[in-house]
Amino acid sequence: MGSFFRNKLLLLILTGFIAGIGLTLLSHKGIEATSTNGFCEVCHVHPHVFNSWKRSTHYDTPSGIKVDCVECHLPPKGEGYLTEKIKLGAKDIYGFLFKDSAEFNWEARRTVEVAQHFTYQESCVKCHENLFPRTLTKEGQEAHLYYTQKEDELLCLNCHIDVGHYDPNRKHDKNVGFGGQASASQERFTQPAQVTSLEGYTETIPGTAVSFKMIALPGGSFRMGSPENEPFRKEDEGPAREVTVSPFFMAETEVTWDEFLAFYAATAAEGRSTDTEGARALNDSVQTRSLEGVDAITGPTPPYGQPDQNWGMGSRPAITMSYYAAETYCQWLSQVTGKNYRLPTEAEWEFAARGGTQTPYFFEGEPRDFMKKGFFGRLFGKENDLISQYIIYEANSMSRTQTPDKVEANPFGLKNMLGNAAEYCADWYAPDAYSLLTDGATNPRGPATGQEHVIRGGTFKSDPTWVRSAARDHTQTEAWLKTDPQMPKSKWWLSDCNHVSFRVVCDFDEKTGKK
Amino acid sequence: MSNNNFSRRKFITGAAAVGAAGVVGFNPLVSCSAGGGQKSGSLITGQPFKKLDELFIPPLLDKAPDGQPLKAGVVGCGGRGTGAALNWLGAGPNVTITALGDVFQDRIDGCKAKIKADYNVEVAEENCFVGFDAFQKVIDSGVDVVLLCTPPVFRAAHFEAAVKASKHVFMEKPVAVDPAGVRSVLASAKMADSQGLKVVCGTQRHHQRDYVEVYKQVATGAIGDIISANAYWNQNKLWHRNPQADWSEMECMIRDWVNWTWLSGDHIVEQHVHNLDVINWFTGLYPTSAVGFGSRQRRVTGDQFDNFSVDFVYDNGMHMHSMCRQINGCENNVSEYIRGTKGYTNCQNKIYDLAGNEIYSFPYSLDESGSPKKSVDVNPYDQEHIDLVTCIREDKPINEAEATAMSCMVAIMGRVSAYTGKKVTLEEMMNSDLKLGPDTFIMGDVGYMKNAVIPVAGEAANE
Repeated sequence: MGSFFRNKLLLLILTGFIAGIGLTLLSHKGIEATSTNGFCEVCHVHPHVFNSWKRSTHYDTPSGIKVDCVECHLPPKGEGYLTEKIKLGAKDIYGFLFKDSAEFNWEARRTVEVAQHFTYQESCVKCHENLFPRTLTKEGQEAHLYYTQKEDELLCLNCHIDVGHYDPNRKHDKNVGFGGQASASQERFTQPAQVTSLEGYTETIPGTAVSFKMIALPGGSFRMGSPENEPFRKEDEGPAREVTVSPFFMAETEVTWDEFLAFYAATAAEGRSTDTEGARALNDSVQTRSLEGVDAITGPTPPYGQPDQNWGMGSRPAITMSYYAAETYCQWLSQVTGKNYRLPTEAEWEFAARGGTQTPYFFEGEPRDFMKKGFFGRLFGKENDLISQYIIYEANSMSRTQTPDKVEANPFGLKNMLGNAAEYCADWYAPDAYSLLTDGATNPRGPATGQEHVIRGGTFKSDPTWVRSAARDHTQTEAWLKTDPQMPKSKWWLSDCNHVSFRVVCDFDEKTGKK
Repeated sequence: MSNNNFSRRKFITGAAAVGAAGVVGFNPLVSCSAGGGQKSGSLITGQPFKKLDELFIPPLLDKAPDGQPLKAGVVGCGGRGTGAALNWLGAGPNVTITALGDVFQDRIDGCKAKIKADYNVEVAEENCFVGFDAFQKVIDSGVDVVLLCTPPVFRAAHFEAAVKASKHVFMEKPVAVDPAGVRSVLASAKMADSQGLKVVCGTQRHHQRDYVEVYKQVATGAIGDIISANAYWNQNKLWHRNPQADWSEMECMIRDWVNWTWLSGDHIVEQHVHNLDVINWFTGLYPTSAVGFGSRQRRVTGDQFDNFSVDFVYDNGMHMHSMCRQINGCENNVSEYIRGTKGYTNCQNKIYDLAGNEIYSFPYSLDESGSPKKSVDVNPYDQEHIDLVTCIREDKPINEAEATAMSCMVAIMGRVSAYTGKKVTLEEMMNSDLKLGPDTFIMGDVGYMKNAVIPVAGEAANE
């Protein structure tokens, strides 16, 4: 019960502080005094914040104007300046007094998602009134024109996240050098794995030093979807159906950056620096693409920005590639290994994720056991951290994907099915897909057509309800390309989605030992 | 990670997934803005009609007021460029022309002689520039205004250069032949606005007093809510130039430019844009998709069609039918027609109620015999320059570039649909990288003509 009194005391102290600050703020002098860079610096102890500001384009401007902290980190005066100042100020004081700044995830605060809550769009456009200065580049014109058409959806920060605090890794620009540092001198495999039976194997990608583990899955029948009484179930998870999947192989982990970069290095479009160069057929813009009959596989063009979000590559799941890129990867992998690699169907994915279980997770528990506890929850509830052994989700991810060694496998030996990054499936998404299935269906493939594809498995951003085995989601083609300024937008890389990866499956067929 | 925003509608539309082109998210441009950057409201969506003082109407004076001398340079000195030069010189006192640019010397000579003969204006030899880079030299020669009158494929780059040099602009329609050009003009238009530059386009019906009067009536509710529209430009064959032995391939094409899609945009863009623009102007809306067809039956040179028929569809369900043809010996008609819930109009000078009774007729002034004249007192080609000079001298806002660029985009959408046989959306066009013509221009043999292909829509049937 000690913590109860401590909390009350904290509340009292905090209230006192806010009241005191509020009084001070009432005087104009006080407002001025608490709006200087020096005053900000008193509390904002993380030292890089001032150094990076001083190296940014908002400190060293062509006209010699220096832009101060509050000019971006508070709204303009008269547009909620005081209200926001009091709110942010109270938060800062609380953080300063009661939290250890060394434990903050500063990196996450520099993402657009978080930074927009303390960097004000109104303030950007107050100074940057003219979005079409004569000095604007061609690319800038296209991008700002796009912005003027979608002002409700876009922030200046979407493209200009690095302007207030310099960060060489966050430039909004073409990343032509991406992937160039892939394993150069390591020993390379000459042969793909030979598979003669339904047993796990290690695939070796010829011509590269990259290998990865494939798990043999026996196939069988299971109940796809969640029962109506499963807590936090969404409508699209039902009605649950009894379905059967044939035996297949599935990768132990999500496709790693090492694996994806092998593809990128082998196929990346020669000499092209953007998607938009080169002649295009007149009707290209109104044609649907076709993947059939491709001999030489054309690979991705260089990405815009940093696909790995500067979280590191190696065995971390490859992310930000489009569905098209994931499909093309599978084609390429099939070609170089002589097997049939592809994206899993939704049924295969769920069969694999469940690992023989029919419960919310493949381990014991349900979402409420793992949710963030409120005040009373912390007082009386029991702590349960079982989920962290198996799933990378919002509470343990540090706002980024993690390497597979951080978690334990499910009963089939597969890692990160339910968390870390979501995974593309081959099926088109439909909210009512399961109602169109009949019990006893074998190898269902989802709706015949659609607009968006299924993605399955939660992500490093998900709460415990979204990392259940049955949770379904779908791609968002338009939203995930929102800030790609290229014309047309990249078909290989997503500018606004950093939480989706994919996992390959391999057919168990005559090429892999099926008699 | 939420399904909340999932649009069920997306599934129903079936397999034609077209990249990022969705069905929503294009609103800011769907309702068009009139010249001067003012938004006009929808006449169809039940919003109140505009009041007269909310409409953008150019000054429409008989002559521009006197003021500081204004020097203009002409870029593109062919028939239209020379015509525009004369219209400019007649716009008011203290205006002159001090520079000429074209890719052909004979065009410069012709223009120079004509303005000397008609207005006694002498352009110095050192201010006459020949070549693909002549536009920049004209812009840099110390002029205040540039008149951009080359074939349309060059317009976007010329407009951008003029705006970056802070020049007021008159530019002919069309202002672009492809989506990349349209977007460039849209961006340059905003750049012009930010500098307070005046931009008038050769969509001269906006400066034709009878059209303007009918527009005022329609926009303020004279025919009720608009429910359908038709646009026509059916005329005889235009003109062509056969290749000459001493012309390079590029010269052959440029001298024959109204027959080459990459130069003109095809006649739906080059000519019919006038009528499409009137519908956009009167309705205050842009169509969001098009399905069209067309063909080439009697055109002599080039790679264009000579007829188009396009069904344009608006988000509110309204349709506009558009027809254009350049073939001799057929029924001809150049006009517009808009029908509303209370009546209909030819857009030019008459408004009728639903029973066919004339409820408005533009009052043309009378000729010597006392009968009404057939046309307005100040012809619109002069009027647009009078309006430009007036707006410059009185610092009134006028910038028609965005509206004209969007009308061109509508026409391009129709063309692409007819060429491909597919439904094309405005959103696709706004995001398309389609760009016609070479990136750099040389006056020589470019290997284009012998490979030119006239588009054929759809797929061959099985024999």
